[in-house]
Parts: sequence; structure tokens; C-alpha cells
Amino acid sequence: MSLEQFKNRNVGIHTYKTLDVGTPPNTGMEKFTQVVTRAVKGELFVGLWVVMREMINTLVKGDVHTVKYPFEKMPISPRYRAIHDMLRLLESGNYRCIGCGLCEKICISNCISMDTRYDEEQRKEVSEYTINFGRCIFCGYCAEVCPELAIVHGPRYENASEQRAGYSLFEDMLTPIDKLNLQQEYDGFGAVSPNADENITQTPLAY
Amino acid sequence: MYELIAFYLFSALIIGLFLVTVMSKNILYAMTSLAAGMVLISGFFFTLGADFLGVVQLIVYVGAIMALYSFAMMFFDATKDIKEKNTSSALVFLLGGMSALVLVLIFVGLNQANLAHPDAITALYPMTEGVGNAQDVGMVLFTKYLVPFEVAAVMLLVAMIAGIILAGKKMDDSLTEDLGADEEIMIVKDKK
Amino acid sequence: METTLAQHIVTDLPQVTALGIIIKAIIILAVISAIAGFGTYIERKVLAFMQRRLGPMHVGPFGLLQIAADGIKLFTKEDIIPQNANKFIFMIAPIITAATAFIALSSVPVFPDFTIPEFIPLLGGVFVPSIASDLNIGILFVLGMMAAGLYGPLLAGMSQANKWGIIGAARTAVQFLSYEVVTGLSILAPIMLVGSLSFVDFNNYQQEGVLSWMIWQQPVAFVLFLIAGFAETNRTPFDLLEHEAEVVSGYATEYSGMRWGMFFIGEYANMITISIIASIVFLGGYDSASMFGWLTIMLKIAFFFFLMLWVRAAWPHVRPDQLMWLCWKVLMPLALVNILITAIVMMV
Repeated sequence: MSLEQFKNRNVGIHTYKTLDVGTPPNTGMEKFTQVVTRAVKGELFVGLWVVMREMINTLVKGDVHTVKYPFEKMPISPRYRAIHDMLRLLESGNYRCIGCGLCEKICISNCISMDTRYDEEQRKEVSEYTINFGRCIFCGYCAEVCPELAIVHGPRYENASEQRAGYSLFEDMLTPIDKLNLQQEYDGFGAVSPNADENITQTPLAY
Repeated sequence: MYELIAFYLFSALIIGLFLVTVMSKNILYAMTSLAAGMVLISGFFFTLGADFLGVVQLIVYVGAIMALYSFAMMFFDATKDIKEKNTSSALVFLLGGMSALVLVLIFVGLNQANLAHPDAITALYPMTEGVGNAQDVGMVLFTKYLVPFEVAAVMLLVAMIAGIILAGKKMDDSLTEDLGADEEIMIVKDKK
Repeated sequence: METTLAQHIVTDLPQVTALGIIIKAIIILAVISAIAGFGTYIERKVLAFMQRRLGPMHVGPFGLLQIAADGIKLFTKEDIIPQNANKFIFMIAPIITAATAFIALSSVPVFPDFTIPEFIPLLGGVFVPSIASDLNIGILFVLGMMAAGLYGPLLAGMSQANKWGIIGAARTAVQFLSYEVVTGLSILAPIMLVGSLSFVDFNNYQQEGVLSWMIWQQPVAFVLFLIAGFAETNRTPFDLLEHEAEVVSGYATEYSGMRWGMFFIGEYANMITISIIASIVFLGGYDSASMFGWLTIMLKIAFFFFLMLWVRAAWPHVRPDQLMWLCWKVLMPLALVNILITAIVMMV
């Protein structure tokens, strides 16, 4: 391998297909023949047929690509980092958070603030926990650092609001106790995506 | 009665619109009123039953000629008033008024003569019953006025050839393609 | 022979009164504007299906009431007039487009003729003709009036003190100069065959079944007229005047509210007019003898309307210089050759 090839960082170009588009006509006669062949060959009707086929498919087979958004939503990747969820322990129904404060410490945009105290059994419990979503950049560090998988990123991505600062309380993010059986275990941040196998390609040696 | 109403309506509108054409300092107003006046003149032809001429008036004056005017319009700022250079407005006024007066007098004289002998007014080529307007015009055009018609055709042909030659001098230079630019931005493909 | 036929038809029909023509004009105005509004819905739906979308779905069943929603929006939207624009011209330009489109419809046969029943007060017994004004040079009038309609975009573009508008106006002139010759020349050959400029004569010429349709005798003229018709109505292969990707919205850049809507009512009315002309001149028109004659012409008109939407979904549009090249160097010589051949065949 020569050095020149090695330095070619533009790896994407190797997969390009070059189409045989021919040479543009130069003389008047060539232009004339091009016009006549294009007019007679019916290339225009191919285009007409393609859209007509799509229309028939849409109407007959219901082959529609529209997602009626507020009513139906596209599935999102489990690795997607959206509004946080607080998970519970499945056995006891207690919240998983142990109040260690790592998430508050690591939060680079300072949007998590929490307060803890000792309860009567000298166990730490969370008394205050808010996330300011006006500041949160959804970096995912809090979920990564959490030793108990208590704070995770959920699938809720509709976070438009009237104000810039939007606070979420601990209770709002906590899985409701009656929906405990629906709580999904989070394989998210750092997990492989569902189509990971397809995405694996050989790393170019030039890298 | 409908004809009378239409006649006076069209007359008033046409005179008003052409006055605007002459008086207005805004070129857009002038062009619009000229076009509107031309359209309304075709209304006269329709009231007279000369449908074909009315449509010809529409197509030729409104369509073709005004399109040329509109090309000329592109050289002006249509939203600004233009300043006219009027060296002697008195002379213009005098000459214009005189010619208008002469025209009016001619028509008054004709009218007086016609009133004296109402039967004297007959059409040279009266409309044929049951035949369309276009056929009537065609008959006259291709019998009595054949020579002027052909001469006009030759004149238009001369104008067309002249136009082609004027434009054709630079026909080899393409306005849209700059061949030199292609070489400058040519991407050197790597040879495989 | 044709004249006797025409006279026969004239004597057959009841007296056409001024009241009947006024009623007819109101019917045309109301129905065609409604169809134009409905046309926007159809266009959005058809384009959506061809692009695997659904189109308007939420207002009413299948989005049918979208027209009403659009209408309310257009009527209540603020009518903005730019500060440096020539206000008067800016205000009347859309009216020119809409008015000429409807005037052109006045000499086109739309809907069958009928007599208002006697039991209706005031209007009972009035005969409403099929053509509001039955000129014997109908085709030329329609084409001339549609040509006059281009003053709308032209004046709109020049009056609005906006560079996009000026470019749109210049393109209007370019487009007009391109297609006008082709329209006239392409329709000349059928006119020569029929020997008349009246739509009624055209219709009567093609009454002996499908094989007597003009399209079999004049296929070249049909294609040329369709192409020129697309240019005349600013439909997609030739929508140079307001192409969003090139000149923001062309002549309509500064318009809003109902004035903007009027341009589109005019455009859709023109589409309907071109469809009617093409169906009558080339596809046999209406069958005046049978009960369902009006249904057949409706189907033909609907087909041409659909064709315009279909083409819009399928084909890219051309540049102004390509349009000029096409019209003057390809279509006009073709039309002339077509006329020559038609004349020679008729002479022999």
C-alpha cells in the first residue's frame, strides 16, 4: 500500500457507483438525435407510470408511509436519551435510588439538584429531587453513573413547554406503583442497538 | 338599449383610461391603462357584431404588442414616477389641442353630411347572413385587399429575417454555459 | 352544410334572454369557483397518493372540509400591501387574473342548457343557455382572453417592489411569448378541418362515435395543444412563474390572504377551461343527442384535470430558456409542418 492511498481518508468514495451517462452531445445533429430519441423512447411515460403505480399501491394496498404523529408514533431506539425515568425495585416496589448523589455531582449542566436525609431506620432517603429540563442537555451521564440503574432515560420525547425552565419532580419521574408490572428494564445507554449486526462493517485499515 | 348603454360605458372608460395613459407619470399606470383601454376597444367590436375583429384586437394588441411593451418596462423602476423633460408645454398643448380639434371637426362634418342623407350610409361589404364573421373577413381580405395583405406579409417577413440576423450574430456564444468555467472547476478524478 | 346545421340548432332552442345569461353567469361563477376550491383538495390528495402520503385527513371525513378551512383562513388573513409597492396596481392585479379566467369561460359550453321550472317565482320559465355568450369565434375568444389573463402575474410582479416579483414578471413575459404561437398554430389544423371557430360546430363534427374524434386525425396537434395548454396554465413542467425552488414565489411573493387566493382561483379556472377546450376540440366533446352526453364530457374534463396533477407529480420542470427552445425550435416547426400536411391532405 502506497503512502498516498494510506493518506486517503475519504473512505466513503470507494463505494460510489459511477453511472454510464454517456457524453453530452456537441454537434447540432447529435443534439437533434438526442431530442428525437428521448421523445420517441417514451422516457417521460416511465415517470408517469412510476407515480401511477405508487398511487395504485397507496389506494389498493394501503402502502402509505405517513405516520399520523399525535395518534401513532414511530418506535424509538432503546438507546435514545429522552426525559428521565426513575425506576422501582420490582420485588418491594421501593424506589431504587439510594441517594448517593453521583448523578448530581456528574451532571455537567448542573440541572439535577437533590436533597437527602436519614429516616428513622437510619437509611438514606430522597427528600427532594428535581431535574431542570431547561438546562438538561440529555448527555446521559447521570444514567451512566448511577450504580443502581435508578435513573434512566425513558422514551418520552415530547418535551415542548411554555417556559424555558421546566422542572420535573422525583414523583413525576418515578414509575407509578400500580404500573410496576409494566416497568421496562433499561438496556439503554451503552447497550447495542437492535440492528447492531447490520451496522457492523470492517474498519478501513487506513484508520 | 343595451347597445347604447354599452357604447357610452365603453366610450367613457376608454377615454378615461387613455387619458390616464397620457397624463400619468407612473409608467406602470400608463401601461396598465393602455392595456385596459385596448381590451375595452374590443368591446366596441363585439357590440357591432364584428366578433372576429374584436378577438383579433384582443389577441394582437393585448397579447402580442403589450408583451413587447412589458419587455420595455423591465428597464424601468416600475414603482417610481418618471420626470419628463418638457421644454415648452405651451407648444405641446397647442399642437395637441389643434389636432384634437381638427379630428372633432372632421367627424362633426361627416355626421352633418350623414344626417342630411341617412340612406347614403351603407356598408361596402355587408355581412352575409348565415356565414360566420371569420368567413366574411376572409372573403374581403383575399379578394379586394389581397395585394395589401401580401405586402404586409412580406414586410413582416423582412422584419423577422432582420430580427434573426440581428440576434444571430451572437448565436454561437451561449448565454447560459460558460465553457471556460468548466475547466476551472474541473475535478481531477483519481485514476484507478 | 355546416351553416344549415347551425341554423337548425339556433331555431330549435328557446329564446335566450338577458336574465337567462345573467343566471348563467352567476352559475358559472359559483360552480367554477367551488370546483376550483375543490380542485385544490383533489390536487393535494392526488399528489399525496402519488408520493405515498395521505394528504389532508383531519378536517372532516377524509379531509373533505379542508377547503372550508382554507377558505376561512384565506378570507380572514391580513391583506398585506408592501410599503413601496404601487398600491393600486398591486391590488387589482389578482382581480385581473380571476376575472379574465371567468370571462374566458363565458364562451365555453359549461353544463347543459335548461329551463327554470314555472313554479319558481320571478325566474320561472327563463331559459338558461349552455354557453353564456355563443360567439361564432369561441375558440379564438377563449384563447385571447386567457392570454389577457397573463396581465395579472405581469402587473403583480412589477408593482410589488420585490426582486423575486420582477423575475416572476419577466418570466411571465418569456412564457407568454413562448407558448402563444404554439397554441394558435396547433389548434389551427383542427379549425381548418372543421371549417369553423365555434365550439358547437367542433362538437357536431365529431358525433359519429369514438373513431370520429379529432385526436385520431390530428394527434400531433393534440400533443402540441396539451403542451401549450400546460404552459398557458402554469402547470408543472412549465411552472416558471412561481417556482419555489428558484424564485421564492415569483409574482405572488408579496401577496397574502384573498388576493393570493384569487390568483389560484384564476389558475384553477384556467385549468378547467383548457380541459374543456381539449375535450371538445380533440376528444369529441359532449354528445348532445343522448342523455349521458354531459356525463361523458365531465369525464373527459376530469381526465385532463387529473393529467395535469399526474404530470405535476411525475415530471421535473424546465428552465425558461429550455421552454423558449422547446416552443420555438421544436413545437412551432412541428405545428407548421402539421398545418402544411393537413392543408395538402384537404386539398387533394
